[in-house]
Amino acid sequence: MGRTPLAGTEQRHSVQELEDLAFELRQKLLHLCGTYEGAVHIGGDLSAADIFTALFHYGLNVDPSDIANPERDRFVLSKGHAAVCMYIAMAMRGFFSYEGIVQTYGQLDSAYGMHPCKVQLPGVECSTGSLGHGLPLAVGMALSARHRGDDHRVVCLLGDGETGEGSVWEAVMAARSNRLGNLVAFVDRNRQLMTSFAEERVSFEPYPDKWRAFGWNVVEIDGHDMSQLVAAIDALPDTDSDTPTVVIAETVKGKGVDFMERNLAWHAGSLGAEDLERALAALAASREKETV
Amino acid sequence: MPVTFTFGEMLSARSVIGSTLAELGADYDNLWVLTPDIGATLVEFRDTYPERFLDVGLAEQACVGIAAGLAYDGNIPVVSGMLPFLSMRALEQIRTDVCYPNLPVKIIGTHGGLVGNGGSTHYAVEDLALMCALTNMTVTSIGDPLMVGEIIRQSMTMQGPIYIRLAVGKKDMVLYEPGQHKVRIGKGIIAREGTDATIFTHGTTVAQALQAAEEIAKDGRSVRVVDMFTLKPIDEELILRCAEETDGRFVVLEDHLAYGGLASRIADVLADRGVCLTAFERLGIPQVYAGFGEDEQLRDKHGYGLKDTIAATRRVLAAS
Repeated sequence: MGRTPLAGTEQRHSVQELEDLAFELRQKLLHLCGTYEGAVHIGGDLSAADIFTALFHYGLNVDPSDIANPERDRFVLSKGHAAVCMYIAMAMRGFFSYEGIVQTYGQLDSAYGMHPCKVQLPGVECSTGSLGHGLPLAVGMALSARHRGDDHRVVCLLGDGETGEGSVWEAVMAARSNRLGNLVAFVDRNRQLMTSFAEERVSFEPYPDKWRAFGWNVVEIDGHDMSQLVAAIDALPDTDSDTPTVVIAETVKGKGVDFMERNLAWHAGSLGAEDLERALAALAASREKETV
Repeated sequence: MPVTFTFGEMLSARSVIGSTLAELGADYDNLWVLTPDIGATLVEFRDTYPERFLDVGLAEQACVGIAAGLAYDGNIPVVSGMLPFLSMRALEQIRTDVCYPNLPVKIIGTHGGLVGNGGSTHYAVEDLALMCALTNMTVTSIGDPLMVGEIIRQSMTMQGPIYIRLAVGKKDMVLYEPGQHKVRIGKGIIAREGTDATIFTHGTTVAQALQAAEEIAKDGRSVRVVDMFTLKPIDEELILRCAEETDGRFVVLEDHLAYGGLASRIADVLADRGVCLTAFERLGIPQVYAGFGEDEQLRDKHGYGLKDTIAATRRVLAAS
């Protein structure tokens, strides 16, 4: 992002390498979903896996060995139910141990649960889970950065469904009113709510126009195309600009596993050993198809 | 300029919010003030530190969320506005964004209780019950304008969040001579000594309780008045001491629902400690939406005005 790179971010991954990492992230997600008996929000994790990969392995200026570095970019997970995807993406970046996540996830005294808790896991920026809360938090962080004259970014990942919450639009207005060009929202636009396909129940369209009407810089991409994600990150305006940016990433809930894709049954769930093998095979087949 | 006070004088408690924050803004360069369109009391801070003042417009939820974001980044944010809206519209933001990570966000507001002609949309009468239910939250309710400044000052060094409730804040009685009492968050104030019964109260009704005690003194009975301005954490030691020293006779008076506020907090302490009183009366708003009228008229209508306080106190004094 054109600013002083923190340790470990000097060498940036190629698109090919990022695609490999995203594949590995999905594999790791499925493994966790296959070993943990409770529900994992696997549908929305898979839809956001490429975005998480692009952010934690390319876009975000962060240093896993110095999590409180004031120059770090801040990442706010507004769609808190995708916590496990964030934990694993962060583990792959060196923040935590993946084994530690898989072995303790959801268990008593684990730092890793369904929604992120800053108190239990200081490596994450904030506690989220209830939808519609992340963007106001990010606005506060971006304001603070502005006030200090810092040039880091604040990046917030939202689900499109949660933008039904009014608090999101309150924050959208506040961000523009305060000219927070250091704020970037990514919307994981998978077009599914928990119990319905979005447009069946709520008219979101014309979705990008709604953000434009609020004065934001709107970038529309295919959220599973790593080169587009990288390009969107590369093209972000300077942090001292006046306009906050939203990257609306079109995605597929359950992406990469054919029986989960666009399937309302897979908002959250768990895989037994047999279904895990089936899911991993589907993931591999999907990748092969896309590589050809 | 320091604000001076005279005992018994009517002052605007809410004006103290702005002047105190403006003064503290110099000492704390990380102090921010945010408001959802209720900025009149904050003009002094806004004009002195415009870069640390944020009016988000009518958006209580974002206001609290933004404050939490600022606090995550090492700032001390104050959210100031009307409590009926802050305590309810933004309740989940206060719980999830502020209390859950235990951030030093201060919610300071006006319009606690039945503050006049607003109607039930504009009365914060459930707020103390809601705030007391939140883990990590310190809950205060203040009537004396001098104390408003003092509590804000003390709150600056607190780790977690605090809720500071005023009445409408336009006309509040100076209850204490400056320096008369040691004011400390978490400790009640004995506003009037007495031995035969205790009236516990907070905020705007402290003045009324003092009047009631004065009236009853004419009967030759000695009534203690405790300004329990911190509802959470509650001063257990003082409650137990009053049970012992004032013959187990309690009246709890508050401009809040009669259940869920201070009376409930005190009853919890007594039950947990296995203390049986001789008599206990709670005066507050019953389960009704209160309607319109002047503050005093509404208190009379709903059974917690001056006459009711005197009558209830006489009842507990007469109980055997």
